[in-house]
Amino acid sequence: MEGTDDLFDDIIMCEQRYRGEGYEEGLAEGNSAGESEGKQYGAVYGARMGSELGCYLGFASTWRLLLVPASDDRQRRKIKALDSLIAMIRNFHSDDPTNPNLQEDMANIRGKVKQVCSMLNIQPDFQINPSAKGLSF
Amino acid sequence: MKDTLTLLSRVSAHPDSRCWFLAWNPSGTLLASCGGDRTIRIWGKDGDNWVCKSVLGEGHQRTVRKVSWSPCGNYLASASFDATTCIWMKKKEEFECITTLEGHENEVKSVAWAPSGSLLATCSRDKSVWVWEVDEEEEYECVSVLNSHTQDVKHVVWHPNQELLASASYDDSVKLYREEEDDWVCCATLEGHTSTVWSLAFDQTGEQLATCSDDKTVRIWRQLGTGEQGSKSDPNWKCVCTLTGYHTRTVYDVNWNHLTGAIATACGDDAVRIFEEDPGSDPLQPTFSLTAHMPRAHTQDVNCVTWHPKEPNLLASCSDDGEMAFWRYQKPE
Repeated sequence: MEGTDDLFDDIIMCEQRYRGEGYEEGLAEGNSAGESEGKQYGAVYGARMGSELGCYLGFASTWRLLLVPASDDRQRRKIKALDSLIAMIRNFHSDDPTNPNLQEDMANIRGKVKQVCSMLNIQPDFQINPSAKGLSF
Repeated sequence: MKDTLTLLSRVSAHPDSRCWFLAWNPSGTLLASCGGDRTIRIWGKDGDNWVCKSVLGEGHQRTVRKVSWSPCGNYLASASFDATTCIWMKKKEEFECITTLEGHENEVKSVAWAPSGSLLATCSRDKSVWVWEVDEEEEYECVSVLNSHTQDVKHVVWHPNQELLASASYDDSVKLYREEEDDWVCCATLEGHTSTVWSLAFDQTGEQLATCSDDKTVRIWRQLGTGEQGSKSDPNWKCVCTLTGYHTRTVYDVNWNHLTGAIATACGDDAVRIFEEDPGSDPLQPTFSLTAHMPRAHTQDVNCVTWHPKEPNLLASCSDDGEMAFWRYQKPE
């Protein structure tokens, strides 16, 4: 009679079993879909951040070379601000996307860029506004 | 209780427009007002009347939101929705715009001169707070752009005797900043209000800070521990009192009288109120009482209240109705 019990068990438990199997399959599929979506998202935003930082670094390095060191206080402060911006970009944890300070560091860099632009009295042709539309950061 | 606040005079400061803000010069001889009509007006006392001494109308393309006098009283800074801040120099009776500070992406909401006179702070809807330095040649240079707030920054004020800056924001928080190695850093965040913080004011010693909010409350914060400049540990600010149940709408402004310690508030329910600390209350758990309430002080939202710097009982307020009013406060027995 044991066989009959098993048979009934199979029928009675099948819903639960299939649900379990379905869950496992779905989880694996969802994981892989999420991972590729995350990769895509990460690639897009990482590239955007990298291009923004690269742009700032190029801008700052160029100005740093253009400014002639002088005893003049104002010139000295401009160079100091540029050096500080360059150091901030170089110390940015671009190799660690899970670093909790990433957003804050980025905000500080954007602030420093604005300060440098104001000190140099230039209107940058890039927009330092993450929410702006079009060709902007 | 109604008799404790007496109307001295009422002036149509910015007709057919809003009057946003008032600022007394340090000696209290002049009052600057600004408004939606894009002008700044300078008022002086002539006998018993307040008369307009000059109109500064050329500087801004849009609403002038706030004005601030330099500690020497010779300069006036104005923050405008046109994204600029103008610096005006007083020349005898006239004022001349000597510099326009640019850099904010959009509306500049407030401006404040540090007690030393060599630093100026501005804040904007672009969520940033800028600190500017003035040199001997009257050149203004940006020394820091602070992006600590996550929303519109409504107001900035300086500590009365330290180089400590405070800002209030639409993100419901208050942030404090100090200088550190040639740059400025956010050193404290005051959280507790449940909606936009519209304004803030230090008391005469700078140990206490009053903040007012869209959540209809006023909060009193006290600095705990040593907050001396240069020390490694940042001062800790704690909310020691919340004034709830007095205001029926948004509290737009709070001003601490540096001579008497009385607190005045400007509210969206058109009223002006005065609070005083109860005698003998514990500094760590102070209690305050409403000592004056003037309903319908104006016909529309009251935007600003400001105590006269020298006369302890003189108060000025201004409103969306375009008027400013002068009040005499009599402390109840």
